[in-house]
Amino acid sequence: MAAAAERGPAAGAPAGVPLCGVGIGWRPEIAGVVEGLPGLGFCEVVAEAVPAAPSRGVTELRERPGALRGLAAGVAVVPHGVRLGLGDADGVAPERVAHLAACARMFGSPLVSEHVAFVRAAGREAGHLLPLPRTREALDVLTENVRRTTAELGVPLALEPIAALFDWPDDEYTEGDFLTELLDRTGTLLLLDVANLYANARNRGQDPSAVLDRMPLDRVAYVHMAGGAVHPDDPTGLYHDTHQNPVPDEVLTLLAEVRERSAAPAVMLERDGRYPPAAELRAELDALATAAHLPPPT
Amino acid sequence: MTDPTPRVGASGDSPPFSGAGRPKHTAATNLAARQAALVDSLLGAGPDPEGLDPARLAATRSALLRKRAGEAARHWPLLASALGRDWVPFASEVLAGRPVAGGLRDGWDVARAARDRLGEGALRELAEREQALRYDGASAPRPRLRTRLASALRRRGR
Repeated sequence: MAAAAERGPAAGAPAGVPLCGVGIGWRPEIAGVVEGLPGLGFCEVVAEAVPAAPSRGVTELRERPGALRGLAAGVAVVPHGVRLGLGDADGVAPERVAHLAACARMFGSPLVSEHVAFVRAAGREAGHLLPLPRTREALDVLTENVRRTTAELGVPLALEPIAALFDWPDDEYTEGDFLTELLDRTGTLLLLDVANLYANARNRGQDPSAVLDRMPLDRVAYVHMAGGAVHPDDPTGLYHDTHQNPVPDEVLTLLAEVRERSAAPAVMLERDGRYPPAAELRAELDALATAAHLPPPT
Repeated sequence: MTDPTPRVGASGDSPPFSGAGRPKHTAATNLAARQAALVDSLLGAGPDPEGLDPARLAATRSALLRKRAGEAARHWPLLASALGRDWVPFASEVLAGRPVAGGLRDGWDVARAARDRLGEGALRELAEREQALRYDGASAPRPRLRTRLASALRRRGR
């Protein structure tokens, strides 16, 4: 616990994280649109999509961050891990932690982010971010894995609670209390995904504003926003956080609430497929800026 | 920035990060078994774990298959477009019960299953891969001998 907490002023104080403005998850398919955003605050890159150094070729390694830098000179790049497995009961693999740390060094990143989730078990990949039971046992596993990760990173780590369609039957904590305990134990920051919070609250029949009240909002490093939908073939009628649909008005309203309750001066859009025309994507970024009272990136 | 030396105040009862083998979490033993059962269930290789809502697990399973189909489509664009609207249901049916192997292998499995109904473009996409790589349907595809020889010759010729 002390290792992470003593790391530096930024680790325990979101005010020290120099992220602000409206950002976007950089993907090759929308690189051109991102390049044309003069007011972009920051961007996020999926850590597992960054080639490992140096076996895959130094040229490619140099070109990737170079391309990112070129399209957004001076803009912070946050490596976002999706397959580390901070909730894996079998522990985090040192080489995956090392890759995340290497990404942060390569991009000169102010922080790194990952999920409160497990992704594999007994050597089998789930192919998905899966929820943990909100128990003391799971907290112990998460705490140990997060400590092993932050010990190697060199920059603060922000943890993102996921969207899940189901819960375990033996939860001992609410989501907010579980997270607060985890952040307290590890000295990490919160990556608040407003779309995930909305999806979970809706699918559990909860009031998202009430859920938000229990979140450790004083620890928010930055905010994720994304679209979702009810899938026509899903008989449950559950809301899916697809990242492939427009951001619903309810999620924009919730973003405004977050901004009323805490600083959270950095907000970004995640889009992962069925990319809309450039004008639509730019309009969506401007809608985020309006809801969050931040300068438009366009 | 990496500091391999133990930190003052770091918990003394944990094994060193780079030590032999994976850390042994006492708390993890029970959780490990539950996680494995859930993964098996979602991959269609085991029963639903007790206490979890079967309808919601089924919805998660379908979402996972749609996601795998999407990743496979990125690796196999001609195959996906050949199957058109039938791509997601067909790919989901093929991939259900198979281990998650990434878009290249997942798509390869789907391509082989769909071989009889593919048009020229998708067949060419499959043939090019089959020529360059040897894929046994169970482990990572490896470059064929002639592909390895060709690239070795190219290197030597430089």
